[in-house]
Amino acid sequence: MNELVERYVHQVGRYLPQKERAEIEAELRSLIQDQLDDRYEGIPSQADVAAVLTELGEPRQMAASYGSEQYLVGPALYPYMMMILRRGLLIVPTIVAFLNGFEVLIAETQTTVWGLLLATVFGALQATFIFSGIVVMIFAIVQHSGADLEENKEPFNPLDLPKVDDPISVDRFEIAFGLVFGVFFTLVLLYFLRVGGLTLHLNLNDPGEVIPVPTSWLILLIVISVVSLIINLIVLRRNYWGPVLWLTETVLEVAGAVCLYFVLYQPIFERIVVAVPALADAPIPQSIVVISAVVTLVTHGIKLVQLTGGADRNRSAFTMKAGG
Amino acid sequence: MTGLHEEITRLRLELRRGIVVLAVLSQMDTARYGYSLIQQLAEQGLDIEEGTLYPLLRRLEKQGLLESEWEVGESRPRKYYRISATGREVLSTLKADWFETVNVMQGMLDGDKKDE
Repeated sequence: MNELVERYVHQVGRYLPQKERAEIEAELRSLIQDQLDDRYEGIPSQADVAAVLTELGEPRQMAASYGSEQYLVGPALYPYMMMILRRGLLIVPTIVAFLNGFEVLIAETQTTVWGLLLATVFGALQATFIFSGIVVMIFAIVQHSGADLEENKEPFNPLDLPKVDDPISVDRFEIAFGLVFGVFFTLVLLYFLRVGGLTLHLNLNDPGEVIPVPTSWLILLIVISVVSLIINLIVLRRNYWGPVLWLTETVLEVAGAVCLYFVLYQPIFERIVVAVPALADAPIPQSIVVISAVVTLVTHGIKLVQLTGGADRNRSAFTMKAGG
Repeated sequence: MTGLHEEITRLRLELRRGIVVLAVLSQMDTARYGYSLIQQLAEQGLDIEEGTLYPLLRRLEKQGLLESEWEVGESRPRKYYRISATGREVLSTLKADWFETVNVMQGMLDGDKKDE
């Protein structure tokens, strides 16, 4: 067998799946030889062989043509993966930056603002990379597990499409995401209650040094979280928000923001002041709680107006019809 | 201008993609190996590149439209392909589609000529 042909076949083989490699290589060898025999009498020159191989095209491209659709994550799963990645890219760095800054602060050694900033940014970057890698890996595993992703799929019915900006319609993905996060959050709070304060050591037997927090506020926050979880479960089940549920959810969130001031912001800020005395006079925890409460009120308020306004509109349309 | 040229090449490739499958299936009543099929198609006026045809044969086999067998008695081992029962069914459907499409397109494109 010609040495150049062998080099070509070997290169194609490198890109092929292991179980098909030997057979495709054998077939290619035989086909190339057929072509050489057909075109050239006797032993073909190096240039003749090169001409035939040029027609076949680049080895990588040749191998790619042999493969069926080769996706890490295919078009059916891709939009879901991107949805989770986008969300994660907002949430993960925030949480990690927060935890990381916190850890640096409660460490025994003193730190500078720059040291704190550096540790925070680095930690956030690292966690984001790990998060993205794990999400992609999970989707790739699902993609290649051979699971029939279109199973159980009901035929598309345009009448089931949600209305544009309909305030009562529920984004199930959003709710499910919130539920998972809420359960996790509640568990962490219960742990804090058990060990008597804030800590990053999630070990019941050895919580390490804890930052004490007012127990009554912590208990209130836990109750609020649990009630909020129940409301979200109800909404997930019945699939729409009503004014009453939404109002309750809003009140809970604002109350939760206030609790967070006593349970989280204030105790942590006191620690930060110990580490970075320059910040002592800044009203940071107060600002955080006011901003978060206002943002919640405004965004939720808009939806509440839409919810009640929508109901009024329907009612007036109904009375008009009844009157006419 | 190269942009337009590339676009035309791409569109022609797209137009040919389905035709090549139909052409191959139509020639596989007798068992053939890759290079002999290329010559057979070329004789009838359809030139297909080796880099397109060889992988296509294997894909059609995976889809169950072709069957294959290694023949080791000759000067060198060769893989022979032949149309399968499923392939025959698919071919007859595709053939009917093809004639219908040609008919429709003929009318459409001729109508184009009359307008000019």
